[in-house]
Amino acid sequence: MSNERVNIAVQRRTVLKAGLAIGAMQVTSPFVVKSLADEPVKIGLDNPLTGTYAALGKNELIGCQLALDQINAKGGILGRKADLLVEDSTSGDAGTAVEKARKLIDRDKVDFLVGNINSALAAAIANVSYEKSVFHVVPGGHTDPITGANCHWNVFRVCNTTQMEANAVAGTLIKTAGKKWYYITPDYAFGHTLQAGLEKACTALGGAKVGGDLTPLGTTDFSSYLIKAQAANPDVIIFLVAGDDAVNALKQAVQFGLDKKYHLAGAQQELEVLLGLPPEARIGTWVFEWYWKQPNLPHLAEFVADIRKRSGGHVPTARTWFGYAAIWTCQLAAAQAKSLDPLKMAKAMQGFKLPPEVSLMPDGAFYRAAQNQLIPDLYVGNAQQAPKGGDREDLFNVTEIVKGQTAAGTLEDTGCKMTWPS
Amino acid sequence: MTQLVLFDAFNGLIVGAFYALMALGLSLILNLSGVINFAHGGFLALGGYFAYMLIPYVGFWGALILAPFLVAFLGIIVERVLIRRLYGRDPLYSLLLTFGLAFIFEDGTRFIWGAQSLPYQVPGWLLSPLSSAYFFITGYRLFMVLIVAVAVTAMFLILNYTKIGIRIRAGTLDLETVSVLGVNVRMLRSLNFGLGVYLAGLAGVLAVGQLGLQPTIGASLIMPSFVAIIVGGLGSLPGTLLGGLLIGVASGVTTVFWPSATEAVIYVMMAAVLLVRPRGLLGEEGRF
Repeated sequence: MSNERVNIAVQRRTVLKAGLAIGAMQVTSPFVVKSLADEPVKIGLDNPLTGTYAALGKNELIGCQLALDQINAKGGILGRKADLLVEDSTSGDAGTAVEKARKLIDRDKVDFLVGNINSALAAAIANVSYEKSVFHVVPGGHTDPITGANCHWNVFRVCNTTQMEANAVAGTLIKTAGKKWYYITPDYAFGHTLQAGLEKACTALGGAKVGGDLTPLGTTDFSSYLIKAQAANPDVIIFLVAGDDAVNALKQAVQFGLDKKYHLAGAQQELEVLLGLPPEARIGTWVFEWYWKQPNLPHLAEFVADIRKRSGGHVPTARTWFGYAAIWTCQLAAAQAKSLDPLKMAKAMQGFKLPPEVSLMPDGAFYRAAQNQLIPDLYVGNAQQAPKGGDREDLFNVTEIVKGQTAAGTLEDTGCKMTWPS
Repeated sequence: MTQLVLFDAFNGLIVGAFYALMALGLSLILNLSGVINFAHGGFLALGGYFAYMLIPYVGFWGALILAPFLVAFLGIIVERVLIRRLYGRDPLYSLLLTFGLAFIFEDGTRFIWGAQSLPYQVPGWLLSPLSSAYFFITGYRLFMVLIVAVAVTAMFLILNYTKIGIRIRAGTLDLETVSVLGVNVRMLRSLNFGLGVYLAGLAGVLAVGQLGLQPTIGASLIMPSFVAIIVGGLGSLPGTLLGGLLIGVASGVTTVFWPSATEAVIYVMMAAVLLVRPRGLLGEEGRF
């Protein structure tokens, strides 16, 4: 007979505690601190390494690391070695992201803060960097207020605003797909502003919203939302979900055959999402914020080759480029200002044009003065299956390159009224 | 509107059947061994990843059969090496252990297969909707419901008509007496854990047919399983099945009226059940 104690009672309270702990599991994460050399210039990266945006975060990190190595190979930042301190912000917990930002600033004394992919988290840590007057680059959180109504003198952003993405794709969609749009939108800052941007752009072009649903971040089953979308009988179903949510939503929409009845589209698509989809679901009209295949663009082949070496042969994505451009922005700001003083660096970057080996796009990219928003090219086109005999990661066919200045609108439109410290 | 509600209710039954499959494995382990298996989602994810690896060699159908067995085998090893040592202690110990395992599984899959979603394909003929009107009933979703029905029936037959099943049921009610009667309780628990984890693995293989295969897939699906158990009633396998179906329908119908509350509604249901009928809808009084 077993000598184990066999009469064990599990209380309902224990099961409930277990449920609470599972919830907690979603927001806790280990942290990783990379090397700390003697008196280096420190760049703190507060970005997701776990959760729904883990794949995007990993690619931004690869881009950051390439930029860091290039910077150090060229003499570092103001002659000092640059170090990257990496923290996992989680994908959706603003409390954790803020805590990590404070740790990087207060304990690690970073000279620059970089992050976040999640718009809500980016906005939250921007408040911390503003409070602490730290030069901050947002690589990939798109919600408008970061460089709009809530802009700060110290916060720069590499990725586009949601309004820019909406403006870039709206005309093509109206022309090619129709005027009645139904939205499937993630229920947080990024989704809200992206939908608002599209609605505004669509209405201006004579289109209309016929319905829409806000879906919780991390939704796995989109079937009930798709049933509603079908009932509304739109011309276009607009998917504004991102990351793993986008994979789930598109996979299910194609299984339901909705791609044969309606045009599937969105204002932002990522190579990471297309790679996670089966070939038949790689469809739709989207905006890419950067693409690895741009004919005859100087420096691009070298960048793609460098990234392939670091990512097991994978091509760079827009996220890789965001990370790359964000870290280079830190170096360029210090070099331009000849100082690590955040105010001097921020002033030096007003209207600053990234060098071609960093911008890696036909029309270049610059930080718009009095907004700190990078104004790059945007790539409108269609998702595609990998061409036969071509690269298996060539999943997007660019049909139009939209200049950032066209998509960005005026400074007044953004609502940014920047104030500078005296 | 009525049609929309009916569609969503029916669709909810399909989704709920899947929740039930996950919850049944969890419930099986909880009932006999008193282990709240936090790592259940991790085993589910492994089911998907194992299938992904196996498909090039044995095809979808081979992977559907083999992957859950591999997960069950791994589960038995985990039970024998780790969980078994904690049976005599407060259930919180095994809870903490499986909590840690859940992290290890998630980070382990991320380390091995990467954070990127992987393109997982099921046979094309399963992917089409059965009709234009009922477009949400695809061959694959119907197939999933069929598999759930087969799994539930098989489990019912095993638990009611086989010696091992009757021992598991008896052990669920009074493990001490079963032990005194000469039943090898250690073996019983191992097999039971393996069976529960097998169901997680099976759910994983099925899930990735319509969801992205990514390290977080298990974590994102485990909460509805816990809710299904609490709503249906701790200790009751039919209750778990009912709980899964109910939360699926509730979540589906809520989409019609308040889309952003589809997740919240299942927790509201759980709270309501706990307030009105704390043992759950089909749970046995005084058992938990």
